[in-house]
Amino acid sequence: MSNSPPSSNAMRRKVVVNFGLFFLFFAFYLGAAVIQTPSFKDIAAMPALGMPLGMLLSLLIFPVSWVIMIIWFWRSK
Amino acid sequence: MNLKILFSLLLSFFAPAVAFAADGEQAAELNVPIVIGFIAFFVLVSIFITWWTSRSTKSASDFYVAGKGVPWAQVGIAMTGSYLSAASFLGCAGDIGVFGIDSIWLSIGFFGGYMAVLLLIAGPLRNIGSYTVAGALHSRYPDDRIKLTVMLCTVVISTFYLVPQMLGAGLLFEMLLHWNFVWVTVGLGILMSIYIIFGGMKATLYNQVIQASFLWGTMVILVTLAYFGIGHGSFFGILDTAQQTVPPMIAAKDPAVVAAIKGLPASEAIAVARQMLPDAPSTMTIGVKTSSTLAMVSTVIALVFGTAGLPHILIMFFTVPSARAAKKSVALCIVNLGIFYLCAIVLGFLLFPGIYPKLVAWISQGPVGVGLAKNMSVLEMSHKVGGTWLMAIGASGAIAAVLSTSAGLMITVASSVSHDLYKVYINPNATEKQELGIAKITTLLMSAIAVSLAVLLKKENIAWLVMLAFGIAASAIFPAMLSTLWWKRTTRQAVIASILTGLGVSVLFIVLLFVKGAKYTLLGLPVAGGPGLFGVVASALVLILVTMATSDTGKNPTEFMALAHRPDTE
Repeated sequence: MSNSPPSSNAMRRKVVVNFGLFFLFFAFYLGAAVIQTPSFKDIAAMPALGMPLGMLLSLLIFPVSWVIMIIWFWRSK
Repeated sequence: MNLKILFSLLLSFFAPAVAFAADGEQAAELNVPIVIGFIAFFVLVSIFITWWTSRSTKSASDFYVAGKGVPWAQVGIAMTGSYLSAASFLGCAGDIGVFGIDSIWLSIGFFGGYMAVLLLIAGPLRNIGSYTVAGALHSRYPDDRIKLTVMLCTVVISTFYLVPQMLGAGLLFEMLLHWNFVWVTVGLGILMSIYIIFGGMKATLYNQVIQASFLWGTMVILVTLAYFGIGHGSFFGILDTAQQTVPPMIAAKDPAVVAAIKGLPASEAIAVARQMLPDAPSTMTIGVKTSSTLAMVSTVIALVFGTAGLPHILIMFFTVPSARAAKKSVALCIVNLGIFYLCAIVLGFLLFPGIYPKLVAWISQGPVGVGLAKNMSVLEMSHKVGGTWLMAIGASGAIAAVLSTSAGLMITVASSVSHDLYKVYINPNATEKQELGIAKITTLLMSAIAVSLAVLLKKENIAWLVMLAFGIAASAIFPAMLSTLWWKRTTRQAVIASILTGLGVSVLFIVLLFVKGAKYTLLGLPVAGGPGLFGVVASALVLILVTMATSDTGKNPTEFMALAHRPDTE
């Protein structure tokens, strides 16, 4: 192992970016999953953009993930 | 080749198509020669690739990690194939066809797992570099017990994942072609063993690329045809139909409805069922399948963190030349999976205007019929929009899915047993050749075990084993791996305690499953949902507490962190 340790600033920045983006994704993902359960079905059934809100949020996980991925690649350059 | 077999094969090319349908329904016909043609294509391609790659598979590095020089795009596609099982191809859409909107989370759940892999694991894990998951942890904590524990987890997770694949493949052939279940599973086991034994990881990756491309392409073509042919190119129109539709699971419980809609076109059948059951929920109603928020949270946690702990996915990062290549391969995989699972969701909703009476007729036959509806509806839809050709391609796609996933699992177990058990505990002085020999014997053994278990458990519904595999990976491997890669303060004792805790909670769930049954709940969580929530929380808590109480942070943690988080290079 002959690698110089990352500076504490660089490491801190990496932790913030990686875990921050993951937390953002996970919060959205878990929130969308929970709304789509019987306990929150009234909120999930509210119409939004031509479909129930719960379904819209669930389907948004795909583009949200792709956007997070693009941001991450851009930030970690 | 035996003349009798050859004659039977030739006969099958001229034989009429095989029909399968629910009682009284018009039969969808499967073009057997085309299915056999595609299977023969996969077998021949596998043999050619194995012969081609075997010439360059000489060292342990070649066998385990394909020489660490595979292009990221190839690994990204292979990773897609390794992850997309027959359950993803047939089951995700089929489940929506049975229960409605509740089941969209089956697709979304599987998709979400790779974000944790990309953001938290892929880069640093590739930088550490090893042959196995246990090897990566061991490079920071040179404690053989870690290798043994992770090897055990790897074998259990991979077996739980592999057996339903083999069983599903056998059942698919049995239902579609009336082939003997045992011979089909044995045949698949032999085919995969051959290309792993002779071609190692290189042959596995090439085969996975071909199988994944076929599977992905089939799904996209099928959905495009169905979207414009049956859905008339309107997503909101499809949702409107779903809003009117009584869930097949509910309609099938009323014999009067089943009789009334028999033989009707789907649109009329939907209207009649709604007229007869005006107060029934629709396929857009939440709660037809999902019972509790806690179960949903546990499933989501198991899928997100479990994917990041699945050994057969993690070892693929060791096959690319750099951390940046590993990240790119995961990114490509995420895009591929996103498109695939979106297609699966749209296809699920298209099943209502497409084959509603057939879904209800299947489900009305009881539990076996529910299984048929879940697994056969995608093929029925293929027949509806593309005739016998597309249906045969769909069936071949399912077989491709089984092959690509199962091969990845088998080579993972082979690597882990030979590298982490044999080399460490049984013969520490083993030469590279001996180690490779053990890997090849393990492949054969694993194949035999998977086939035997599939045959023994044929009558059982063991789809939950896959969920359990995700739960164990999330509980036992993910917390230990994450903290090893990111937290310098993590101690050796904490890693061992965390893995054992995750494994312990998982074993508790397995015992409860067998003793109390799949519907038993532990603190409000159905045990069939897997140990995800409890396992991850317990494992993470133990990891933090033991880290606070101990001080062995491993072999030079500063250098380990420097290696894991060094700047990316191409």
